[in-house]
Amino acid sequence: MVDKIIIDGLAFSLPLFAMAIGGIFSEKSGITMLALEGIQGFGAFCGAVAFAYLQPVISGGTQVIIYPVLFAAMLGGMIFALLHAYMSIRFRLNQVISGVVVNILAMSLTIFLTGLINESLTGESSNKIWLGAAPRFSVPGISKIPVIGAIFRDLYIFAPFIVFFAVISVILLYRTRFGLRLRACGENPESVEAAGCSVKRIRYFALAICGLLTGLGGMNFAFTFSANFSPTIYMGYGYLAIAALICGNWDIRRTFLTCLIFGFARSGGYQLILKLGMSSDVSDLLLMIPYVLTLLLLLFFSRHNHPPSALGSDYEYDRR
Amino acid sequence: MEGTADRPVVVELTGIRKQFPGVLANDDISLQIHQGEIFAILGENGAGKTTLMNILFGLYRPDEGKIRIRGQEVEFNSPRDATTLGIGMVHQHFKLVENYSVTQNIILGLEPLKKWLGLFPLVNEKEANKEVARLSDHYGLSVDPRLMVGQASVSVQQRVEILKMLYRKADILILDEPTAMLAPQEIEHLIGVIHELRRHGNTVILITHKLDEIKRLADRCAVLRRGRLIDVFDVGTTDTAKMAATMVGQAVDLEIEKEDRPFGEPVLEVEDLTVMQEKNVAAVRDVSFTVRSGEVVALAGVAGNGQVEIVQTIYGQMKASSGRILLNGRDITGHTIRTRIREGISYVPEDRQKTGLVVDMSLSENLALKTYGQLPFSKRKVLNRAAFRRHAEKLIESYDIRSGSGEATIVHSMSGGNQQKAIVAREIDLGNRLIMFVQPTRGLDIAARAHIHRQIVEERAKGHAILLVSLELEEIMELADTIGVLYNGVLRKIAPAEELTVEEVGKLMLGVA
Amino acid sequence: MKQEMKAKRLPRLRSSRLLIPLVSVVSTFAVLILVFVVIGRNPLMAIYSFFQGSGLGLKPSYSKSSSMLTDFLSYLGILSPMLLGSLGVVVGLRGGLFNIGVSGQMLTAGFLATILVGYSKLPPPVSIPLVLLIGLAAGAILGAVIGWLKYRFNVHEVVSSIMFNYIVSFLTGYFIKTKYVDPIIRSSKQVAANAKLQVIFQTSSGLKLVVPIGIFIAIGMAFLIRFYLERMAGGFEIRMVGFNREGAAYAGVPIRNVMIRTMLISGALAGLAGVTYYLGYYSTIVPKDLPSLGYDAIAVALLGNLGPVSCILSSALITIFQKGAVYMSASTGVVREIASLVTGILLLFSSLGVSMRDRSRHYD
Repeated sequence: MVDKIIIDGLAFSLPLFAMAIGGIFSEKSGITMLALEGIQGFGAFCGAVAFAYLQPVISGGTQVIIYPVLFAAMLGGMIFALLHAYMSIRFRLNQVISGVVVNILAMSLTIFLTGLINESLTGESSNKIWLGAAPRFSVPGISKIPVIGAIFRDLYIFAPFIVFFAVISVILLYRTRFGLRLRACGENPESVEAAGCSVKRIRYFALAICGLLTGLGGMNFAFTFSANFSPTIYMGYGYLAIAALICGNWDIRRTFLTCLIFGFARSGGYQLILKLGMSSDVSDLLLMIPYVLTLLLLLFFSRHNHPPSALGSDYEYDRR
Repeated sequence: MEGTADRPVVVELTGIRKQFPGVLANDDISLQIHQGEIFAILGENGAGKTTLMNILFGLYRPDEGKIRIRGQEVEFNSPRDATTLGIGMVHQHFKLVENYSVTQNIILGLEPLKKWLGLFPLVNEKEANKEVARLSDHYGLSVDPRLMVGQASVSVQQRVEILKMLYRKADILILDEPTAMLAPQEIEHLIGVIHELRRHGNTVILITHKLDEIKRLADRCAVLRRGRLIDVFDVGTTDTAKMAATMVGQAVDLEIEKEDRPFGEPVLEVEDLTVMQEKNVAAVRDVSFTVRSGEVVALAGVAGNGQVEIVQTIYGQMKASSGRILLNGRDITGHTIRTRIREGISYVPEDRQKTGLVVDMSLSENLALKTYGQLPFSKRKVLNRAAFRRHAEKLIESYDIRSGSGEATIVHSMSGGNQQKAIVAREIDLGNRLIMFVQPTRGLDIAARAHIHRQIVEERAKGHAILLVSLELEEIMELADTIGVLYNGVLRKIAPAEELTVEEVGKLMLGVA
Repeated sequence: MKQEMKAKRLPRLRSSRLLIPLVSVVSTFAVLILVFVVIGRNPLMAIYSFFQGSGLGLKPSYSKSSSMLTDFLSYLGILSPMLLGSLGVVVGLRGGLFNIGVSGQMLTAGFLATILVGYSKLPPPVSIPLVLLIGLAAGAILGAVIGWLKYRFNVHEVVSSIMFNYIVSFLTGYFIKTKYVDPIIRSSKQVAANAKLQVIFQTSSGLKLVVPIGIFIAIGMAFLIRFYLERMAGGFEIRMVGFNREGAAYAGVPIRNVMIRTMLISGALAGLAGVTYYLGYYSTIVPKDLPSLGYDAIAVALLGNLGPVSCILSSALITIFQKGAVYMSASTGVVREIASLVTGILLLFSSLGVSMRDRSRHYD
């Protein structure tokens, strides 16, 4: 049972973590990020569309098709993230409003387009694009170890991508000069400007990275938890990712921990229902767990956390 | 200080013009600055000095005009271009990242790299720390490279800003009001540093409104007034009175008559006040003092030593960990802000736009910001707009508050000076016995400054008790009856103004015995 | 004096106040026309069909029990929760708080009113005020909790509202499925007629006219809220806190009370939206289904420039698309979801408008 908790927990934590890292890049650069929900949805949509059109055409199975699909998802995420960036930077729109607008727009746009695309593909306008569950794999050798080995067992095909990008993100944010400047943009953009760097350009880059990572996470969710793209892709996971990064105090490593907590609480709760043999109605109730847990964690951690000082502030970009 | 006119011209500005919405900041300014000289730019707040230097530093683009550096005409797209040509600037409000180290702040934008695994360029922090230590030794500006800037004192932060310029091998150094936040002894040290920089061959441009510093440091001085260059003086042969007159351009009545009257009974009594901040650090430690009716008590100190926290705690914005605050004999230590306002405290805060006003609301609403809930402004919770209007018109008249559309003006569009007038008008009009002022003349020109000083003296004559916090020693010496000096949250000494000298106050401000 | 006031107001009208919402609407229509053209439909007919579906245009034919009037009354029935929800968003935003949890508050109010009064046999003069009261109270409490969490624990209200949305939807879903379900329609048992917020007339021609009480409440609330915000001390405080929390604290405003009060009022309005929705327009609650109206209300609020009375107009417009979508879809064959797209695009344009006028905020 513990094995199942770990496996299912990781399956949830990793994509959540990908989205949260995206959020961190945005907020560390000074742009409030509430738009993860919409960005991941649009990313997943683009990936799903790519899958729907390519699948009958490409042979070689999932090993091959995953690359164009992921590419489409990450690109789609990037586009929507840049929309948020554009509204926040060019129009200096209140970033909370902009984020929510992006979410609503993504939802309505993707649902509408799904209907259209299904119509052209299958003649029926449905609001689902069927994807099927993604394949899983296990790392040979290590996965046989009891308990700990479960970390490397039955991983979804996305997992190595996420781990790879996570490591790159840590290096990028904390050790390169781009990261140094990005974080300075979130604390005191004037100092960056005086050093001769363009705050605008750095923030657009940060949001682009955010979109790439969030699209990856969204695609992961669509291919695993829903096995389709439909309105149910908007499960509030984007907001969970935001909560995770808040509780992680905007630090990538701490946020990994909070994502693990969310994932394991979810899978643990589910195993509990199975063990106790409760009816499926009660299982509905236990689906609440991630959201209740999020609320509680936020309660404890929001008081003393330290968001970037210039987060969401109205900055005059073209003062010249 | 002699013979700089023979040296080559390093900076030449011709016909510089810069317009902002509503104000012509620089109007056809032409200047020449020679290699190796210390050149001062003198002018009141709002004269356009900072704007001009921001143009030279590449932060702003001039609408018209040319810039020549060492004879070459240049156009700056960003400060990076100016930096490449050897121009550096230390701004009045430091541009530092508080939770970065000294080194990180210095290298930001010009980071030394090392290739990890031969491929990926990462920031070479070890190398950077070494370089910062070397620079700091070479120029006598001692700093700890690993210290978090947020924890450093103001003068250390200034050193970091100067090191930023030197790290980039700047040799034309612009300093904007560098002594504004320093204690007298720190000012002395900075003057030494500036002379040292000149010895190393640098050209220093000094923006200031302090005449005595110009006299001590500068070779030549340009005077700006309302965006135009009025004259350029040779400092050695011009007296301060002439420079002052040129700066202001008109006779300003700076005379303030302070009567000598006996003080009345205590209005404010602070007893053993201690205020804790986060991480168990005491911002204010066991402070006690009294302000009597008709007395002006000033709290002096380098910025960040607890003066503002004391005022905020008296007002109710911060909580006292221990000690008592008595107003007119009543203990108000635990009261809400609203209660304290009603019990008789007026407060002109440091930040007029973020605290003292709601800039998105109208002038009349701001003038009734604290009284909207009482008669005549509202009756049974319904607002009486006519009463707002009448009240605003009365204050506009008697305090000469200028605005675009009278009482309906949205405060955001008013000038800083008029915004301050509005706050002062409102607070005095409340008629409270205790009035607290924090940095009341910050960013104001001489006329507005004198006006506010006069109002403070008037309130004093009416028998009100005044608590003043200011970073300008000059202002304190001019207005205060009693001066208290704070260092690290402790009231080192409090005594009648006649008994204290500037030197002694300066030493106390720096914690020297 | 009054002449002066009038003169001062006129220039305001000519300024961006009306211009930007107008531009937003026109731009959205332009995009909509473009979309219809691209997918091969007659754009003007398609747009008109939205109006027909809302009872603002004549359909080619009507069934025996319907007419343009009944369509229009039905339109008013869904307009009420839309307007009320948007008022909730407006009050929140004016106070500096973003109430994105309108859907959850609607669901809470609707659910509680349904199970407490909806199945009872109380006569309308008793049940209707009771339903309204429960709606107000349920929404108010949930809103106040969100406001308190923000003040006390600094929990961002957008995140906490969304969390509550999901928690409420799962909780009510559970209770409906286990205790209150009507197995045939797979949603909660229908609310009894005596508890519905409607007044029904029979015309001589046999038509059943269902007048939604909610529309009167909604319009009344719009004017009431405007009065409160502009003319009462409590509303003045809310606006102060919304503009500048620090300045308001300095002025002595009790921030905690005001923040809670803001969300309380906002939630109460959302609660009223909930009861007019679930015990007015609909009579049943689908488990785990959060009304998308909660998000549309945000678009209405922003298009209405955060002015309570302006929201009457903006909600009327957006509801035309929401309500008319079914008929439009039937007559043009375009997917219904295009209505949400319209709302999304309108939201996009009007939010840009709100940002550009940040410096000179005049509302109604």
